[in-house]
Amino acid sequence: MTVVAAFLVPGSPLPLLKPENPPWGRIAAGYQRAGRALAQARPDTILLYSTQWLAVLDQLWQARPRVAGLHVDDNWYDYGDLPFDLAIDTELTAGCLAASAAAGISAKAVDYDGFPIDSGTITACRFLNGDGRLPFVLTSNNIYHDWAATERLGALAAGVARSAGRRIAVVGVGGLSGAMFREAIDIRDDRVASSADDRWNRRILELLERGDVAGVKAEAPRFAAEARADMGFKHLAFILGALGGRFYGARIHAYGPVYGSGAAVVEFRL
Amino acid sequence: MAQGEIVAGFLAPHPPHLVYGENPAQNEPRSQGGWEPLRWAYERARKSLDELKPDVLLVHSPHWMTHVGHHFLGVRNLSGKSVDPIFPNLFRYTFDLTVDVELAEACCAEAAEAGLVTKMMRNPNFRVDYGTITTLHMIRPQWDIPIVGISANNSPYYLNTKEGLGEMDILGKATRRAIEKTGRRAVLLASNTLCHLHFHEEPATPEDMSQEHPQNYDGYKWDMRIIDLLRRGRTREVFDLLPQFIEEAFAEIKSGAFTWMFAAMGYPEIPGELHGYGTVIGTGNAVMEWNLVKAGLTRGGGVLARAG
Ligand SMILES: [Fe+2]
Repeated sequence: MTVVAAFLVPGSPLPLLKPENPPWGRIAAGYQRAGRALAQARPDTILLYSTQWLAVLDQLWQARPRVAGLHVDDNWYDYGDLPFDLAIDTELTAGCLAASAAAGISAKAVDYDGFPIDSGTITACRFLNGDGRLPFVLTSNNIYHDWAATERLGALAAGVARSAGRRIAVVGVGGLSGAMFREAIDIRDDRVASSADDRWNRRILELLERGDVAGVKAEAPRFAAEARADMGFKHLAFILGALGGRFYGARIHAYGPVYGSGAAVVEFRL
Repeated sequence: MAQGEIVAGFLAPHPPHLVYGENPAQNEPRSQGGWEPLRWAYERARKSLDELKPDVLLVHSPHWMTHVGHHFLGVRNLSGKSVDPIFPNLFRYTFDLTVDVELAEACCAEAAEAGLVTKMMRNPNFRVDYGTITTLHMIRPQWDIPIVGISANNSPYYLNTKEGLGEMDILGKATRRAIEKTGRRAVLLASNTLCHLHFHEEPATPEDMSQEHPQNYDGYKWDMRIIDLLRRGRTREVFDLLPQFIEEAFAEIKSGAFTWMFAAMGYPEIPGELHGYGTVIGTGNAVMEWNLVKAGLTRGGGVLARAG
């Protein structure tokens, strides 16, 4: 088996930066459970797609063998810094670059000191690979790619892993409903911004729990439009692509609000 | 303290290509030039800025996008390396800048007083966005004038253009009051591209100017229509057309800098001086100046009086 584990996780850094706030602490705890499940699946590499790594021209793949530094979030700088130190599976990444080009998706390697790593990538990497043991393949969200193109990317990356004989964990980093509070709130009372958003999130999570792939794919466009789902919910498209469009259910390790938007830690049953 | 005032506003777009084309010591990648007409436009703007002798440069940038309110850089010294996430091959710039924290705090307080959500950014490790840095480098490569950096609240995108730009109007007026109260002689920089339709692939040599032209003819015509009106001082007409321009040309001025600047200057119906126009990966960029001293709109305390 190539894909030995798959997760959909939130990109907001708030659960990492301030887990002592109860609503965010619950998401952090879910993230930690997912991290343990990931470790138990014994992947060689973590393949990670983050909605917050925005690409405009090409599909970007992180190709620097080691990316380390200190990131400060554009919005949540008050809550502290986000240090990171990640190893990159450069062999698999090179394969993904070649496969992207072969699939007609113009792609580029990113290998620059100081290249900004997004908050979503850092948050997921820190929670899911706390001891820094596993290498990553990191890729971006090209804003012009639709659901189908994103699915193709996930599929081609998994294909490269298969050819290389790698066991991989697939991680799609992004939120659920996207409406956020636009003023200062008492963060202890954080909640999903509207009951309509909350209903949408729960409906999507239920479909995932049931393993209803057709159902979730059918609902995704409406979820995106009505609940402002993060980046059209393309992080799920990437996961589905890597899974060959199949999973049998899901375990919801956490669901809750991050400053009004919806966040869930989901482990797929493969 | 004498009352402060705004002496000029510049439309000062931030394609990192311009820094790349210039090859300053702060930027790692080397080029064979490129985008000369735009870079020379900035040279003219630099000369003008020099004569204005401002105490401070205020810049509103779309690449520091905030969700909860309008934020202001609030750390005296910020330094680091800024790598453009879209064009890392062109822009890896070591910056070191000084913030006029007192004025930033005044802007923040005035905007809050006017009903906006505002916040001071106090984290010393914060990495200033590449839009702010590119605009500041292009207009004042010496980095010897303190700055105020203002985020772009995402309201024009999250709410709608009208409501979002309504907030930018309030922000601009608040900025003006803060400048007046703190006695600063200020220049405003709107870090915005006009038509933002772009090519999706970079030439093998990014500075190969045989590949550079407007991506979209209708977008180009929109840019010319707007610039023509601005050159004739028909500001009200420009703002009436703004929503349609933004929609049809995908103009980056949607992010609010242009509205913020004009609101702060009181939407003067004076001819803007076009220093130059050019495309960058197909997008339309104009470097323009509204010199309130030359237009006689300052309190007679212009450069000459000051020098005398
Ligand atoms: Fe921009």
